[in-house]
Amino acid sequence: MIEINDVSLWYSPELKVLSNISAFIDRGKKIVVCGASGSGKSSLLRCINGLERFQKGEILVNGVSVMSPTTDIYKLRSRMGMVFQHFELYPHMTVMDNITLAPIRVGKKSKGQAKAIATSLLERVGIPEQADKYPSTLSGGQQQRVAIARALAMEPEIMLFDEPTSALDPEMIKEVLDVMVDLAHEGMTMVVVTHEMGFAREVADEVIFMDQGAMVERQDVQTFFTAPENLRAKQFLKRIIR
Amino acid sequence: MDIDVIVDNIPFFLGGLILTFKLAVIAISGGIFLGILLAQARLSSRAWLYYPATIYVHFFRGLPLILVIFWLYFLVPVFTGHSLNEFSAVVISFIVYEASYFSEILRSGIQSVPAGQVMAARASGMTPFQTARYVVLPQAIKNMVPAMVTHCVVVFQDTSLAYVIGLREFLRRINLVDAREARSVELYFFAGLVYFVICSLGGLLSQRFEKKQLKGAHF
Repeated sequence: MIEINDVSLWYSPELKVLSNISAFIDRGKKIVVCGASGSGKSSLLRCINGLERFQKGEILVNGVSVMSPTTDIYKLRSRMGMVFQHFELYPHMTVMDNITLAPIRVGKKSKGQAKAIATSLLERVGIPEQADKYPSTLSGGQQQRVAIARALAMEPEIMLFDEPTSALDPEMIKEVLDVMVDLAHEGMTMVVVTHEMGFAREVADEVIFMDQGAMVERQDVQTFFTAPENLRAKQFLKRIIR
Repeated sequence: MDIDVIVDNIPFFLGGLILTFKLAVIAISGGIFLGILLAQARLSSRAWLYYPATIYVHFFRGLPLILVIFWLYFLVPVFTGHSLNEFSAVVISFIVYEASYFSEILRSGIQSVPAGQVMAARASGMTPFQTARYVVLPQAIKNMVPAMVTHCVVVFQDTSLAYVIGLREFLRRINLVDAREARSVELYFFAGLVYFVICSLGGLLSQRFEKKQLKGAHF
């Protein structure tokens, strides 16, 4: 489903962000990506949907190359939902308009269809009563749930999460993780950059550990938590789990 | 105080005021249009767009407007062999000059929208045009309205500079009547009042717009 072949990304010869990353992510798999800040996790995520243009290697999504000039990158992106650390809801639109914008403008759905989808998604994330409010009147946890609903509105095959709970107050983390766990149980293919190790234990098939732009460890969850091979991964786990 | 000198010359002043408005409207719309192109070039990652636009903006912002008017009126004929009439010289000066200011207001308005907003829109499959139309510009315009209105008022006031090459706009006509009637106090007080009322109306409109925006959306 997602095939990452020897991808390298740099901003200048001295500033290498990703070095020779390779990975295969099959349909329905849940991958958790972790590592220290600046290790290239978010960049890798942005390479997958072509928001970041990398210099070397290839990424194929459903067999379609992300970087190829002949690829309809807009169509490809519309098949992948993305959720950001700081939500990035559109502040000048209501919750409903936030969710229906892409389905109407990109997915060419009618307003009625888009609203019906949005309403059912808001119910799914547990905040149907917030539809007509503006994002700034919502709590962080509610905003992130709206952002997840917005990403799901395009009926994506893959969901990319970029530290979705890092900007949240502790008491709001669970409500967002619960939505993500449900999504995982429904069979969505997910790539999640997070330090929520509880979430990783519960749903992840595999954990990728990154260090200075390189993928230094890739293990199934059990092995990663009990017997990581890489020294940095060991140190990281020691620091993050008490 | 003798207001007869004003009342008697109302049609003459009104003609000047119409010319002043005409000048301001053309200067503002032309300046904004050229400003949009400049702002886009200034935001571009292509060096051949960015550098010329940047030099243009810094060049004109470093000059007094009155000098640009002089240049166009007196120097262009020397170099091209064609003379410009007063109105064309003033209009072109205003457009090329004010575009540099408008472009900076537009650019900072667009840059005030966080990069994450663009990323979210692009991630959902929107094209650059859709991203600008639905996500960036609605937020940018709201941020730039106060500065835009303020600058439009400044342009309106600056139209009086056209008198230096003899264009008979509002202030020039006041000046002419004063030369004939020697009623400086009444005439210049009246001129001040007219400018004040018109410019204050612009300010009020901007405030109303801001309030309306605040009611509509919570940023």
